[in-house]
Amino acid sequence: MPGALHVEWLGRIAWVDALEAQMKRVEARRAGAGPDTLLLLEHPPVITLGRRTDPAHLLESRAALAARGIDVVEAARGGSVTYHGPGQLVGYLVIDLAARGAADVHRFLRSIEADLIAAIQKLGVAARAQPGRTGVFAAASGRPRKLASIGIGLRGWLSFHGFALNVTLDPSEYAPIVPCGLADVAMSSLVRELGASAPADLMDRTRAAVAEAFAARWEAP
Amino acid sequence: MPVAVELPSLGESVVEGTVSRWLVKEGDRVALDQPLVEVTTDKVDAEIPAPVAGIVQKILVAEGQTVAVGAALVMIEAEAGSEAPRKPASAPAAAAAPQAATPQAAPPRETPSELPPATPLARRLAEEAKVDLRSVTGTGAAGRVTKQDVALHASERRPPAAEPGSAPGPGPAAPRPGYGYLSYSLQPGDRVVPMTPLRRLVAEHMVLSKRVSPHVGTVAEIDMSGVTKVRDAHKRTFEQDHGFGLSFLPFVVHASVRALREYPRLNASVLEDAIVEKKDIHIGIAVETEKGLVVPVVRHADRLSLAGLAQALEDLANRARSKRLSADELKGGSFTISNPGRHGNMYGFAIINQPQVGILRMGEIVKRPVVRTLDGQDAIVIRPIMHLALSYDHRAVDGAPANGFLHRIRELLEEAEFDL
Repeated sequence: MPGALHVEWLGRIAWVDALEAQMKRVEARRAGAGPDTLLLLEHPPVITLGRRTDPAHLLESRAALAARGIDVVEAARGGSVTYHGPGQLVGYLVIDLAARGAADVHRFLRSIEADLIAAIQKLGVAARAQPGRTGVFAAASGRPRKLASIGIGLRGWLSFHGFALNVTLDPSEYAPIVPCGLADVAMSSLVRELGASAPADLMDRTRAAVAEAFAARWEAP
Repeated sequence: MPVAVELPSLGESVVEGTVSRWLVKEGDRVALDQPLVEVTTDKVDAEIPAPVAGIVQKILVAEGQTVAVGAALVMIEAEAGSEAPRKPASAPAAAAAPQAATPQAAPPRETPSELPPATPLARRLAEEAKVDLRSVTGTGAAGRVTKQDVALHASERRPPAAEPGSAPGPGPAAPRPGYGYLSYSLQPGDRVVPMTPLRRLVAEHMVLSKRVSPHVGTVAEIDMSGVTKVRDAHKRTFEQDHGFGLSFLPFVVHASVRALREYPRLNASVLEDAIVEKKDIHIGIAVETEKGLVVPVVRHADRLSLAGLAQALEDLANRARSKRLSADELKGGSFTISNPGRHGNMYGFAIINQPQVGILRMGEIVKRPVVRTLDGQDAIVIRPIMHLALSYDHRAVDGAPANGFLHRIRELLEEAEFDL
C-alpha cells in the first residue's frame, strides 16, 4: 500500500547527479524500500534531448554550446528537446502508478498538467492545458506561451522524469533550441506573465504551491 | 516454450507506440523483469520488462517502427523449469493494479443515494454539465472526483437512452473508445454536447480509416457544360414524369460506375495478403441528415439507367432524411460518392469508407473563366466547372490507375453522352 508522496528539495544540482538521485529512488521504490517521491530541484544550464528529438531542433553545435557553459545530454524520456537552467523549477516524479491504480500514461500526463495549473493559478497566473500538446500554457489569448514542459519515463509502471516550470528563467535562454519541437510556441515564465506584480520570493512560493498541489493528489489513500 | 512479449496498453487513449531502442539482442539470456526494449509514445518513454526468464529468440519490430497496442515485439524462449510465464501483455499494465484496492474501482452505482467525495469545482461543473457525480470515476486524492474527471466523463458520456444497457455495478465502467482523445478542462461558458451513438460510430470509423489506410488525393477540374445541356434539355419532362428534379448527382454516379467497370482496382477491398476486386458495384452516397452522416447504398448501380439511378438516389435520400432506411440499405457499399451540395466549396478530400479503397467528393459547380481553343484561336470562355476530388488507398491503388480512373470520369462527364 503506497504511503503519502514524499517531497524533497535538492537545490541546484547537475543533470547527471539528479538522474542518479532519481534512479536511486526508482530502485528503492521498486524494491519496496522507498516511498513515492517528488524531487524538486534546479539545474545549471543544460539542454536535454528526448528519444524523439529531431536533430534539427538543436540550433547550435554542441561545441558552441559548451563554450557558453551549456551541457547537452540525452535523456531516456519521451518528449523532444528542452532547456533547463537556474530560475526553472524541475520536478521529478518517482511514483508507482500501478500500485496507485493509476496505470494510464495519458491520465498521468493530464494529472501533472492539472496539478501544475492549480499551483500556477494560486500564484496569480491564469494557465491552461492545450489539447494535443502536453505541457502548461499561459491562458491569455494570442500565440501560445508555454510555461511548463512535461516528459516522463516509465520502468514498468514506475515513473521517472517529470516537468520543468519556468519561474524566473529568462525565456530567451531557449534560443539555441526549438522547444519540444514546437516551432510556433513561445516560451514564457511566471515572472514574465506576472510582470511588475511578481513578488521577490516567487521561486519559494512556486516551490511551495507545486509541492502542495502534487501532495494533495498523491496523498496516502 | 516461446513467449510473445506484446506492446502493453499504456493507457486508455494510447493506441500505438514506437520502438525507440532495443536493450537486448537475439540470443541474449534475460532475467525476469529485465528491461527489454524502450517504447516511446507522446511525451512518454516506457521500458518493457521481460515477463519471463529465458533466451531472446526473435526481435519482431525494428527500432523506429510504430506498432499498435497488442502487437508482438519479441519472442522469448522461456527457460526450462522457470515459472509459468505471466500473461505477456500485462507486463507492466496489470502487474500490480489490485482493482479493488484502488480509488478508481469504487463502485459508485451501488450507493445511489450517496454522492462520492468531490471537489467544490467538480460539483459545480457536474451541475452545469448535468453529469451525475455517482457515475464519475474519481482520480483525485482518495478517489475524490476532480474537475478533470467531470470534464472527461462529460465528453465520454453516451446519451441517457444508452444507459440501461451498459454494465451496472463495479468493474471497468467506460468501454475503451475506438478513437484517441486528450482531456480538456472545461471553461465557463463551454457547451458540452454528449456524443450520440451515431457520432461515436462516425468518429471511430474515421480514426480507423485514417489509421489503416494511407490516403492519397487527386483532383480533376471538370467542365460540366455538356451535362448542364443534357439536364436542361430534359429538366421539364423529367420532373413531369418522375415528380422530382434532376440533379447533377446521378450524372456523376453514372460516369463513376462506368469508370469503375474499366478500373476494377478502385472497386476493391484490402485483405491480409490479397486485394479483392469486386464483381458487383454498390455505390454508397454520403448524406448529411439532421442526426448526422449516413451512407445509404445504391445496389448494383451499374445495372441502372441514368433515370433509374436518379430515382434510386432520390428515394434513398428522402428516406435517409426521414430516418426510414433499413440497416441493410446502409451496408455493403463497394465505393462511395460524397455530394455536399451547394455549399460544398471548391474541393475537399473525404475519408475513405472502409473497407473500400476510394471515395469521390463533389465540389460545388461554379461558372469560371477557362481557356478553350475555338476555331483555332485560344479564348477565355465562361463554363460551369466542378472539381471532383478522389481519395484513394495507396495500399491497393497506385497513382496511375487512380489518376486514370478520375480522368476517365472527367471524359465521360465532358462528353456527356447520357441517355434519358
